Amino acid sequence: MSNVLRPYLAAVRSTLTAALTLDNFASQVVERHNLPEVEAGTSKEVLLNPLTISRNENERVLIEPSVNSIRLSISIKQADEIERILCNKFTRFMMQRAESFIVLRRKPVPGYDISFLITNTHTETMLKHKIVDFIIQFMEEVDKEISEMKLSLNARARIVAESYLTALQG
Amino acid sequence: MSEPGSLDVVFVDYDNVRFHLSTPERKTVLLLSMNIRCWDELVQYGALDILKREYGALLSSQTEPDYNVSLEIDLEQVPTDPESREAFVTSLALLKRNALAAPFERGFATQKELDSSGGQGELMQIHYRDEEAMYIQAAPDRVTVIFSTVFREETDRIFGKVFLQEFVDARRQPSIQNAPQVLYSNRDPPLEIRHVPGLRNSEDIGYVTFVLFPRHFAPAVASTTISHIQLFRDYLHYHIKCSKAYMHSRMRYRVTEFQKVLNRAKTEVATTERKTASGRTMVSR
Amino acid sequence: MSVLAPIICDNGTGYSKVGFAGNSDPSFVFPTAIATRGSASQNSRAPAVPTKPGHLASKRGVEDLDFFIGDEALANAKTPGYGVHYPIRHGMIDNWDHMERYWEQTIFKYLRAEPEDHYFLLTEPPLNPPENREQTAEIFFESFNIKGLYIAVQAVLALAASWSSNRVTDRTLTGTVIDSGDGVTHVIPCAEGYVIGSAIKHIPIAGRDISQFVLNLMRERGEMAAVPPEDQLRVASKVKENYSYVCQDIVREFRKYDEEPLKYFERYEGEHSVTGRKYGVDVGYERFLAPEIFFNPEIYSSDFLTPLPQIVDDVIQQSPIDVRRGLYKNIVLSGGSTMFQHFGNRLKRDLKQIVDRRLDASSVASGSVLKSSGVEVDVISHKRQRYAVWFGGSLLASLPDFYTSCHTKAQYDEVGPSICRRYQIFGSST
Repeated sequence: MSNVLRPYLAAVRSTLTAALTLDNFASQVVERHNLPEVEAGTSKEVLLNPLTISRNENERVLIEPSVNSIRLSISIKQADEIERILCNKFTRFMMQRAESFIVLRRKPVPGYDISFLITNTHTETMLKHKIVDFIIQFMEEVDKEISEMKLSLNARARIVAESYLTALQG
Repeated sequence: MSEPGSLDVVFVDYDNVRFHLSTPERKTVLLLSMNIRCWDELVQYGALDILKREYGALLSSQTEPDYNVSLEIDLEQVPTDPESREAFVTSLALLKRNALAAPFERGFATQKELDSSGGQGELMQIHYRDEEAMYIQAAPDRVTVIFSTVFREETDRIFGKVFLQEFVDARRQPSIQNAPQVLYSNRDPPLEIRHVPGLRNSEDIGYVTFVLFPRHFAPAVASTTISHIQLFRDYLHYHIKCSKAYMHSRMRYRVTEFQKVLNRAKTEVATTERKTASGRTMVSR
Repeated sequence: MSVLAPIICDNGTGYSKVGFAGNSDPSFVFPTAIATRGSASQNSRAPAVPTKPGHLASKRGVEDLDFFIGDEALANAKTPGYGVHYPIRHGMIDNWDHMERYWEQTIFKYLRAEPEDHYFLLTEPPLNPPENREQTAEIFFESFNIKGLYIAVQAVLALAASWSSNRVTDRTLTGTVIDSGDGVTHVIPCAEGYVIGSAIKHIPIAGRDISQFVLNLMRERGEMAAVPPEDQLRVASKVKENYSYVCQDIVREFRKYDEEPLKYFERYEGEHSVTGRKYGVDVGYERFLAPEIFFNPEIYSSDFLTPLPQIVDDVIQQSPIDVRRGLYKNIVLSGGSTMFQHFGNRLKRDLKQIVDRRLDASSVASGSVLKSSGVEVDVISHKRQRYAVWFGGSLLASLPDFYTSCHTKAQYDEVGPSICRRYQIFGSST
């Protein structure tokens, strides 16, 4: 892990841990409803200040806390066209399987690549620090995976081109 | 060997080529018809001569409607010993390859003529797919083959670019210095075909140029070169698709890994069944 | 509009049937097996793990292209370094990585088709979870960029295949499908193109068991002594395929054979697969006893004892009452193990007996006041039974409706894989 990445992840970790103080909170607007307030956005007073942690202009994390839920959105590094398409494919692939990822949102918040929604039910049924671990590990590995995929695409293209041309040598 | 039966089968090959194999009159006479998009162009460049050379009397005078060329195969005259039978079947299977070889053979021949006289050969255009075409031109010292490639999808376009760039760079490898030179340009058509009317000029189009020197089409290797270069597009697309499949399997692996991490967060909740007084199960939602 | 024939791809547990719409037979039939680099010991049941997890273990990175499918896979089973996997289990796709690569070669190497130019019709087993359908769509649209996709239920295709029989007058998608392949036999009721999932029954007797039964019979008679042990099962299945038929009455059949053995006994000539030594065996009672295990399972198995006609009757009785007549009237056979001569007639006769007995009992119970008008029972056999599912697909995909029922690439890009959760049926006249 590079030195710049470590403080970035540490910042995300501590902010997220602090933000994950969620409580059961019934909707004030609709009777007998219990919605993640950060999504519903119907009562201003239960929303807390959103916060952006930014490593550079491309990589940043948006944390939107509220009384019973927090939303965390990640913008992943995309240096070029290839990384952009790979990142797109990867996040799409994950969100396709959001069902099994419990805390994953099916659509990212506009301007970000992938979003997670953690509600009080999640923090009650799962270990809080492990959820944080999961998010941090995801952030760590997604960059690595994308650059590895890019490398392997290039390596593969080279082999493919070489073997085609070798046969054409005449 | 079983008795000949009646048959009526359609099948395809790459690049919109359709085949129809049937027994219209007798069970012992097979009719193999092929429909190929660029037939008229191929005929213009001498495809009929090549097919006559390869198939001779098999070439049917009456072409099946809706198809471009028909071969009539009398099963009673097919060689019986396994080896020549195999060879015969293989030659039939190469019908498309042979038809498409015409412009290449003509190009190679023209180059030999030009070698002494100089000048430029005719620019042969083969529109082998709806949106994509192949251009072949002979010059005194080489034959240029240009493919226009269109990628319908964003991912394919980007993957395709990576692959094509590697084709260009691959020749730097010392082991394949003898391979034909490859040029690739996005959007802008290369000089040789810039005057051709109706070329699209959009982001999704690319042009790949192979420069074949006489050593690539010396008589000993000419036919392999032709077969090989015909399959260029299919080769490229196969590998683009395989890379996507590979990405998929990587992603599947990664997703299961993430899944495991997340599952560690789940607490072991003691799931004792809770019942109401009337004996119904309580379920938390 | 595409003029290229749609591709029909029926991937079964044992064999895959692939070909082009409009043909009467699949172009290729080969085992659904894939031989990949890597240890064979790695059980394919384990979760899908790519051969190269995570790290750039090798700079080459094209190991995933090093594989064989179909017969080549089995031929390479013993090549060191390769392991054979079966990506489909019990009709459902089990290993998506292998399946995706399997399709790669099916399309490019066998069919020689550019998937971007074709529509595809795939098949799925009854009760396939919608997630599987989504994953399939994801592979076909994202990896292969196909033009359009239609996923049909195998049983429904088998019903459609029966339209080719001249005994079928109306193109209905209501009926009972008896699908018997190599591993298992299913009895599946369909109402207007939809499978009645709750009533499906499986019978653990199918082609493999019949071969084993033939083998047992011939061993008992001592015929197999002449056959080398490694060829015995193959001989048994050849005997099953070439000489067996369903009789109407076992006792009479036994007597016939005993009176005139020369007329009924057949001779099977074989050759040792390695040494080429010739041998021959007499084929006798197993000719009619083999398929009899469907009708009297007690002669083969000790734990499964319900005869096939009884199962079919149970299935239909478990279906909603308003479709039962349609189900009795249109019983369709599909798969290689239903190919025995007179199989349909026997099934029809036995089932008819069961139904009539019940009708009589109910009329007696009502004191002969209520009399049923009778229930029509009919079993449809047709020429395309062996690859009925594939043929049904070929038939449906050559209808003009097919293109409008397909999900196209554009629709997929707009909506995503969830578009393939639901399918509209088409082609039936009702």
